[in-house]
Amino acid sequence: MALSILGVALGVAVVVGIDLANSSARTAFRLSTETVAGRATHAIVPGSGLLADDTYRNLRADSGLRNAAPVLEGHIRAGSASGPVLQVLGIDPLAEEPFRSYTGGPEGELDLGAFLGPQRTGLISRSTAQGLGIQSGDDLTTFREGKSSSIRILDIIDPDPGFSEASLENLIVVDIATAQALLESPGKLSRIDLILSKEEQGDKIAVLEDVLPPGARIEAASARSSTLDQMTQAFSLNLTAMSLLAMVVGMFLIYNTMTFSVVQRRGLIGRLRGIGVTSSEIFGLILGEAAVVGLIGSAIGMVAGVALGSVLIDLVTRSINDLYFTVRIQDLNITPLGLAKGVLVGLGTTVLAAFAPAREATRTMPSTALRRSEDESRLEARRGLLAGSGLILGILGALVLRTSGESIAFSYVGILFVILATSLWVPFLVDSGSRAVRPLMGRLFGVVGRMAASGIHHSLSRSAVAIAALTVAVAATSGVGIMVDSFRTTVDTWLRYSLEADVYISPPGMVFRRNDATIDTAVEERIRSMEGVSETYSVRTAHVLIDGRMSDLIVTEPRDSDLEPGRYKELPDFDHREAMTARDVVMVSEPYAFRFGTQVGDFLEIATSDGPRPFEVGAIYYDYASDLGVVQMARSRYEFHFDDRQVSGLAVYAADGVDVDDLIDNLTSVTANDQGLLIRSNRSLRQASLDVFDQTFTVTAVLRLLTILVAFIGVLTALMALQLERAREISVLRANGMTPSQVHRMVTTQTGLMGLLSGLLSVPLGLLLAWLLIFVINQRSFGWTLQFEIDLMVLGQAVLLAVIAALLAGWFPGRSMSRMNATEALRFE
Amino acid sequence: MLHVSNLRKSYSEGSSQRDVLSDVSFIINRGELIVLLGRSGSGKSTLLNMISGMDVPTTGSIEFEGQDLTNMSDTARTLFRRKHLGIIFQSFNLIPTLTVEENILLPLELTGTANQEQRQLALDVLREVNLGDRGDSFPDRLSGGEQQRVAIARALAHKPSLILADEPTGNLDFRTADTVMDILQRLVHDERRTMLVATHDRDIIRLADRVLELQGGKLKDVTPAAQHEAAQKEAAQQDVEAADNASPGV
Ligand SMILES: Nc1ncnc2c1ncn2[C@@H]1O[C@H](COP(=O)(O)OP(=O)(O)O)[C@@H](O)[C@H]1O
Ligand SMILES: [Mg+2]
Repeated sequence: MALSILGVALGVAVVVGIDLANSSARTAFRLSTETVAGRATHAIVPGSGLLADDTYRNLRADSGLRNAAPVLEGHIRAGSASGPVLQVLGIDPLAEEPFRSYTGGPEGELDLGAFLGPQRTGLISRSTAQGLGIQSGDDLTTFREGKSSSIRILDIIDPDPGFSEASLENLIVVDIATAQALLESPGKLSRIDLILSKEEQGDKIAVLEDVLPPGARIEAASARSSTLDQMTQAFSLNLTAMSLLAMVVGMFLIYNTMTFSVVQRRGLIGRLRGIGVTSSEIFGLILGEAAVVGLIGSAIGMVAGVALGSVLIDLVTRSINDLYFTVRIQDLNITPLGLAKGVLVGLGTTVLAAFAPAREATRTMPSTALRRSEDESRLEARRGLLAGSGLILGILGALVLRTSGESIAFSYVGILFVILATSLWVPFLVDSGSRAVRPLMGRLFGVVGRMAASGIHHSLSRSAVAIAALTVAVAATSGVGIMVDSFRTTVDTWLRYSLEADVYISPPGMVFRRNDATIDTAVEERIRSMEGVSETYSVRTAHVLIDGRMSDLIVTEPRDSDLEPGRYKELPDFDHREAMTARDVVMVSEPYAFRFGTQVGDFLEIATSDGPRPFEVGAIYYDYASDLGVVQMARSRYEFHFDDRQVSGLAVYAADGVDVDDLIDNLTSVTANDQGLLIRSNRSLRQASLDVFDQTFTVTAVLRLLTILVAFIGVLTALMALQLERAREISVLRANGMTPSQVHRMVTTQTGLMGLLSGLLSVPLGLLLAWLLIFVINQRSFGWTLQFEIDLMVLGQAVLLAVIAALLAGWFPGRSMSRMNATEALRFE
Repeated sequence: MLHVSNLRKSYSEGSSQRDVLSDVSFIINRGELIVLLGRSGSGKSTLLNMISGMDVPTTGSIEFEGQDLTNMSDTARTLFRRKHLGIIFQSFNLIPTLTVEENILLPLELTGTANQEQRQLALDVLREVNLGDRGDSFPDRLSGGEQQRVAIARALAHKPSLILADEPTGNLDFRTADTVMDILQRLVHDERRTMLVATHDRDIIRLADRVLELQGGKLKDVTPAAQHEAAQKEAAQQDVEAADNASPGV
């Protein structure tokens, strides 16, 4: 009973925990945008880069715009160059009132003079202040792009009614002028927030659009969150996949534990039947009990799930912060819906899983209380039928996968079918497998080996379920392992050929994949002309409106290696590289092409500084740095169309005979006084990139472990059920001279063999899952082309893992079987 | 060869102790066939289990050819049992995961020292119980009587010095039981082996050299003469019944 509850609880905990991490992360993202958006309904946003602040003044003066507030946003680090990241919100307190009320509203006590005055001052929330260990009146040192400055904390702010304290987490509110200084964006704005009533919207937007600077446009506040959704999609997907798997394995587990609890009380049930309890009453009794177990298990599982969720969230946040943007998830977002899902899974699966054991129990006759030969021969007879339906299900799964087009949800359904199909084959394979190895086992381990092998097919209904659970769990682990390996190898190969300069220089950014930081122009000049540097190439990452969506535009200087055909997925028949400098031609990355269905020869509308212009897509290139997709433009065309001359990074080639480490030392000393830059060798940048990659998959590793744990408990319960059923047989063996240690050895041999069978079965299934993850799920989610990299080690480890898990699970039942009082089971003759 | 003295076995029931056997003493000599008679619940199985070393008495001693079983470890008792004893239970005697032949070779195989000659002897016993052609069958393909014959063959195959049978015919119909008992008696007598048969069936007394009777946990020796007379009377009566409901053999 305790074991069944544990089983259900574990299954539910995994589902609830993952769900919680997922939804909490989403909520945190939403909150972080909502707070800063305040009550704005729309915003004027630039097509690329930032808006000039005259835009705001002109709009107010010329167009009589009233409910409008300028905003400049960015990020800084507090305390030290590696301190926590703060989101800077630069506002105009005089225009703010209708939008946000941090400034205290009309009767607020904010010292406007000091806030607007020449000294840099800012407002932060109580908990942020506590986190940083500062109080109002203190000075806070800030870092950005390798440069430091300081700001005085003027006051503590409280959130708007209806927003939680968390919405102000890690936010620093400053005056626009202060923000422009802190973020080194003199005369710039990120956006202008607007409140437009329903009636106004149509006309007003049309009027405003006429006077907006080129590229700028009016966006509804709701449009923002969809961009965020896209960013978190990759994570959700990853987590959803794992939670589905955990659920499947959890279902096995619950089925096993329920069966176990019925087997445990076979004798009692037999006697109940004997005294006239009808089979339908027994059926109801078992299902009722399952409901109770399900309920208690779900309750415990939910508590454990919340705990698990908070651990997972930590990991998720870390990956997201590294990859996408800065966010701190403070509250666990426990929703009634999430919990209801947990109960549904726990209770539903338990009752469903109890169905078969309950039916089995109703057939328990007093006389067969301790035997199950009829049940076994029934399963034995059905193993072919099961395998047949497995085949049909497999074909069905393949059909679903083929016809589901781009749908991720259906792809998962297809994969689920494939997993179930394999499980249905397990009884057949286990039966024939254990029969086939019997003679070999006999030769290796004598009569103990023969009994171990036969013990498996003799109790097929128990062992097959345990083996199926272990197989699915191990296959999932190795499948995901192979997928991650393949992914990593692909990324590594790609990094090797795309990082070919000797040294890479970039300002320290807040996050890995969205680095807005730029290198000081003076510093850039100095590096380019330094001794020991033979060639330099610049990179600029800009956020630009492309085909109506904010996208990353990567601006590069052409170099010889651009011609290598291996870098491209699709090339046109003209020289795209020459075209990129001569005409308005760009390249798009593979995920971009996938996401938006872009093809070579298509035209993209890019919002340049002079307004939207069409650019032809010249090529599609492989890129694994961004799952959102990027567009690449030549520096010369960018400078022609955009008023931006800054660079985000420099790639430096050492001159002949110059030692790279010396060059790095020189570069560091030359730039140190002006800007603290990240100066990394080719190798260390590649390593850093791979580290980030690995970190992204930490969550996956944790979940893989959990899956194995769930399977482990499944095997344990199956073995304990087996132990109860075999008590009688063990007694006879003991009577015939089997020593306790021989009993233990027999059980261990049998579980070891079960583990080996699971391990071997998991190899083809694991490969199949890996293939599906790489070529179906990943392909349909991101459009990446990955190499299918089979590491024999991973497969070997999977087999080993299965054997070890089985042996560990078998140890306890084996020990208690060997210590069992042999006369006990003989009493009921 | 077997000395049982002052044997007591008690089980605790809640806080109180209940004696299932008290002050049981007797001797078994080599070559004797002894019937242990007693109603169901009188403690026959308990006694047999202690002689076989599967269970230990609360007090008292069991000496087998000078060795005291009650001082041995579980493993030592198992090794003793493997070497010197053959055991037959009422039912479920056979290991379902082993063939008939493998079942018979089980005690030898567990020893790990079985040689070809011993194996051959063991298989000869299978022929002697008239199942020479069923060696490769699994137990679930055999009838109840056939299963008990295999169990007998297994109990004898490693030439043990003492055979313990706990209601060997308890689950069989009358005719089958008769056949099984005949085979058992023939094999035991022919090779002058020692056997202790526990039963509640007075009919079996006719085969006995000596009868011990358990009543309320105490042993009541029955003199051979009196027992013979009683047995003959019953046997005569049963012959009449047998003639009435002649049924096909085992
Ligand atoms: N493990 C035990 N715990 C408690 N009582 C037991 C145990 N084993 C046997 N008994 C009791 O001992 C008595 C004798 O049982 P048993 O030796 O099986 O009798 P028999 O074989 O003569 O039918 C019975 O009353 C039985 O209930
Ligand atoms: Mg008995």
